[in-house]
Amino acid sequence: MDFNYILGALPDLMKGLKMTLMVSALSISLSLVLGALGAALRTSGHALLRQLVVGYVEFIRGTPLLVQIFFIFFGLPSLGIRFSVFWSGVIALTLWATAFQIENVRAGLASVQSGIRDASVALGLKRWQHAILVVLPIAARAALPPAMNTVVSTFKNSAYLQTTGLVELTFVAVDRIAYDFRAVEMFATICVIYLFCVFVLAGLAKLVEHRLNRPFAER
Amino acid sequence: MLLLEFRNFLLAGFVNTLLLSLVLTAGATLCAILFAAALSARSRVVTGLVYGLVECLRDIPLMVTVLLAYFVLPKAGISLNPFWSSALSISLWGGANGAHIIRAGLTSVPKGQREAADAFGLRGWRKLVLVVLPQAMPVIIPPYVSLVTSLVQASSLGAVIGVEEVFRAGQVIIEQTTLTRGGSPAYLVYGFLLVFYFVLCWLISLAGRSCEQHFTRHLTGADETSALPRDTTQVVPA
Repeated sequence: MDFNYILGALPDLMKGLKMTLMVSALSISLSLVLGALGAALRTSGHALLRQLVVGYVEFIRGTPLLVQIFFIFFGLPSLGIRFSVFWSGVIALTLWATAFQIENVRAGLASVQSGIRDASVALGLKRWQHAILVVLPIAARAALPPAMNTVVSTFKNSAYLQTTGLVELTFVAVDRIAYDFRAVEMFATICVIYLFCVFVLAGLAKLVEHRLNRPFAER
Repeated sequence: MLLLEFRNFLLAGFVNTLLLSLVLTAGATLCAILFAAALSARSRVVTGLVYGLVECLRDIPLMVTVLLAYFVLPKAGISLNPFWSSALSISLWGGANGAHIIRAGLTSVPKGQREAADAFGLRGWRKLVLVVLPQAMPVIIPPYVSLVTSLVQASSLGAVIGVEEVFRAGQVIIEQTTLTRGGSPAYLVYGFLLVFYFVLCWLISLAGRSCEQHFTRHLTGADETSALPRDTTQVVPA
């Protein structure tokens, strides 16, 4: 292991990491918003809309992310729909993550027992008050762990985007290996970087979970 | 039509995908059992090491693991062709995820059941196979089936390092027709591949459901659905 080589490669790798983080952050935030919307349609919307959401979720979960990425980056341009490498990556990753987030949020909503609705009616709460003040806090607690799982997966799966030539962390490492043949050094470094990021994300998830559970913690 | 024209080529890729998926399922199952056994070993050192390995495999992107095996193993003197290289890396990844599924299943069996097995004089393997496993199966199978579909999907990663499976076949067809005829048929080929993988994974989950019914057939009545964690969303996001 040649540490000087790693130090020399760090500036490039950090540029890659920045791209990885940018794509992940965009996809994660978009997928959380779209996931909540999708779950709302899935639970309350029109029957046809409901079926569409179910079909979407099933289709995304039943197909490899890699093929989805290729369909969006190489397939759509042949139909005249063209995105840049960056945006096609964000779109592919967002579409993938949204399917999982819809399921997570839906499961969270399903964990709200039906008696609670009656309780809200008895208290004279309006529909929106019921939704925001009662359902949301309960559902968020249940949906948080799986949702954070998906967030971490979204970050990890951004590595798939190196196949389309997006200059993110894995791409930088593989690109350098093609010139310098320092596979051990490069993979050791990016593994450490990925592990570090996953630990930070998982730690954040634990913090939020802890905060949300504070009302129920033992005093 | 283009796809029919290349049907033999696609079929060869399809066979390789199935083959790789079978190898992956077998390999991941083997790794999962080994990891799960090692995680409940008596030696602190063994459990610590295996725990670290399993966590690393789960936390490092699969794409990186696959490339790592392909680029780094030859440096250690182990030269594998793309097929076996991806088989090894994806199996280890599947094993790490499978180990967690198996452990969750085994711990879901109430302690009293093990004590009852002890009281009947069943020990070791017989206790595990005759008493604990049949009760753990309903908990293990649903997430395990989704792990298998993840493995099938992950087999497409082999294309990145040059395994000639169906996704790679699709890429080659696109390259060839774009070069010789002009105009890319990419949307058609990739669209077809999406449908292909979807049907394959759907068939696997159907098979998984009937397998699950086999283990839950003794649970009759209405509480069957509520007693089991039916909705095992995204145990292994691949």
